[in-house]
Amino acid sequence: MSSPMFADSKKYAPSKRTGFRKFSEAGLSTYLMLSPFALLFIVFAVYPVLASLRLSFMRYNAICNPDQSPCGSVGFGNYQYLIMDDSRFHKALLNTTLYVIGSVIMGMIASLTLALVLQEDTRSNRVLRVIFFLPSVTSGIAIVLVWGWVFRGDDIGLLNALFNFVGLPTVEWLATPSLAIPILIFMAMWGGAGFGMVLFLAGLNSIPAMYYEAAVIDGAGPRERFRYITLPLLRPVMVYVGITGTIGAFQIFEGVYLLFPTSVGSIGGFKDMALMIVPYLYDMGFNKFRLGYASAIAWILFGIIFAISMINLKLTRSLEDLR
Amino acid sequence: MSAVELTKKQQKALDKAMDRGGNFTNPFEKRSKNKWRRSPLYLLTVVMIAPYYWMITSSFKSVKELQEVPPTVYPKNWISGNYYDKNFDPMQFQQDVIQGLFQRYPDIKFGFFRFMYNSVFVNISITILTLFIGSLAAYVVAKHRFRGKRAIYLTIIGSMMIPWQVGLIPGFLLVDDFGWLNTYWAYIIPALPKAFIVFFLVQYLSSIPDELIEAARIDGAREFTIYWRIVLPLLKPALVAMMIFTAIGEWNNFLWPLIIVQTQDMANLPVALAFLRNTGAGNIGSQGVIMAASLITSIPTILLFFLTQKHFIRGIALSGLK
Repeated sequence: MSSPMFADSKKYAPSKRTGFRKFSEAGLSTYLMLSPFALLFIVFAVYPVLASLRLSFMRYNAICNPDQSPCGSVGFGNYQYLIMDDSRFHKALLNTTLYVIGSVIMGMIASLTLALVLQEDTRSNRVLRVIFFLPSVTSGIAIVLVWGWVFRGDDIGLLNALFNFVGLPTVEWLATPSLAIPILIFMAMWGGAGFGMVLFLAGLNSIPAMYYEAAVIDGAGPRERFRYITLPLLRPVMVYVGITGTIGAFQIFEGVYLLFPTSVGSIGGFKDMALMIVPYLYDMGFNKFRLGYASAIAWILFGIIFAISMINLKLTRSLEDLR
Repeated sequence: MSAVELTKKQQKALDKAMDRGGNFTNPFEKRSKNKWRRSPLYLLTVVMIAPYYWMITSSFKSVKELQEVPPTVYPKNWISGNYYDKNFDPMQFQQDVIQGLFQRYPDIKFGFFRFMYNSVFVNISITILTLFIGSLAAYVVAKHRFRGKRAIYLTIIGSMMIPWQVGLIPGFLLVDDFGWLNTYWAYIIPALPKAFIVFFLVQYLSSIPDELIEAARIDGAREFTIYWRIVLPLLKPALVAMMIFTAIGEWNNFLWPLIIVQTQDMANLPVALAFLRNTGAGNIGSQGVIMAASLITSIPTILLFFLTQKHFIRGIALSGLK
């Protein structure tokens, strides 16, 4: 910056007039360069969100025939029915909540443990890191199809074959309601732990070694060092992994869609045991064509995610203020 | 460190810790003498690899072998019939012979290759275009001063808080109104404005000094030339990371294609895979074909990851720690 090359340009930079000149000079090209993104963003990102808000207060379907299936405003009707009366939606909310809590907490623990165990930069650790990370770049559908085989209810299912081998009885994995959420949580951990691990590894490597050296000299054991250095300094990464993990988990779709179909045109498995928010939204919108109702579900999803993000941010801020 | 006199005990503790490669964080390090200490880790590794192993081996098993109880861990004969079976004859019923993956879809030109083409074409188009318009916008937002800039940037950042499913239904209706359902337009155009890319690139550009750009501006370079000649080369590491993210994300995209695809020939690989599964769901003999298709779907992203591993991991770390 202090090189003679830029010494001249400094003369022009600080004055107010240059600021104005920069504005007027860059004017047309500014808007020309911004416009491709801006136009597409308005049409395909901003408009759909606003339109979805409008739809969520309407009865709306693909046909809108005034005689058979009229469209029109219903006020808060969709929301009211969803929150007060729709037992399938309540089931979906409950299932999703259990799934999110389970997969985020266990996923965080798994990711952090993996990062700690594989932190040392040895050759075997590098190979193991890649193996644990692979699911993050593999097609979710392809993997779900393998899981479908693993959890088959008959003797050809892999887990049942293993069970039979050690003398345990065959289990109808995907038809047992109490197992649906644990299976989906297991799949989420298998698929997501490696991604969290990479973030935690980056966080661990950014902690200066001198803190640990000082702690060793002061006689702190490994447990104290973990508790008083590693954990507090990893908090920003934990918040990030926690928020992104929660948002991602709320949007689960593929596993439910492929592993728990009840019949054509419906979703969620026997007694809706694996019904979740986004699959229910899909079912309402694209199987039953209740587009207004489905939009209301989408906005409730947004409300939940927004509230959780805000609480999480507030919580970490107040924790930081305490220190 | 040298200025401080350490007691013998402290020196010993430090030496002991240094012996372990300077790794001071691991709470499990005390047990490091035990050579079985990592066995749970290796067990987990087996669980991680098993689905891939099963996908690969099953795709090379014969129909007869697939039906065996208990299932065979290692294929007795490696056969390629699940991909292409010479003996298959559509005119007659055959036991133990299955229509290979590349023999299916007789009504679709090029059969299964068509889905591969769809995925590749859509992916390349989206990746190039989204990075181009995203980096243009990011340059303007980061390095130009104009009215409404703050509002625009805040809208872009704010939109990342909204789950994309919120716009799903109006997006579908919009694409329908444009007459784009079941076309590549519906795949590509709505996927182009990616807020995260602009956000990431603006962050990256803000660490680059303005002087470089101002010097070029004073020399009379046109704005697009500055973007093309100066900004793009500077952005290269960030663009590579975003390219990999976008390519892998779009390759595995499922819900949006599922909605806009109406005839099978327009399916991308994940949607084709789901259709394939739905047609032969209960039949164990067709699992080999399904695993073959799964393998073909999985390989490109894994390959891309291996080729660009360093950039990829750095990109994740960068985007996560901002």
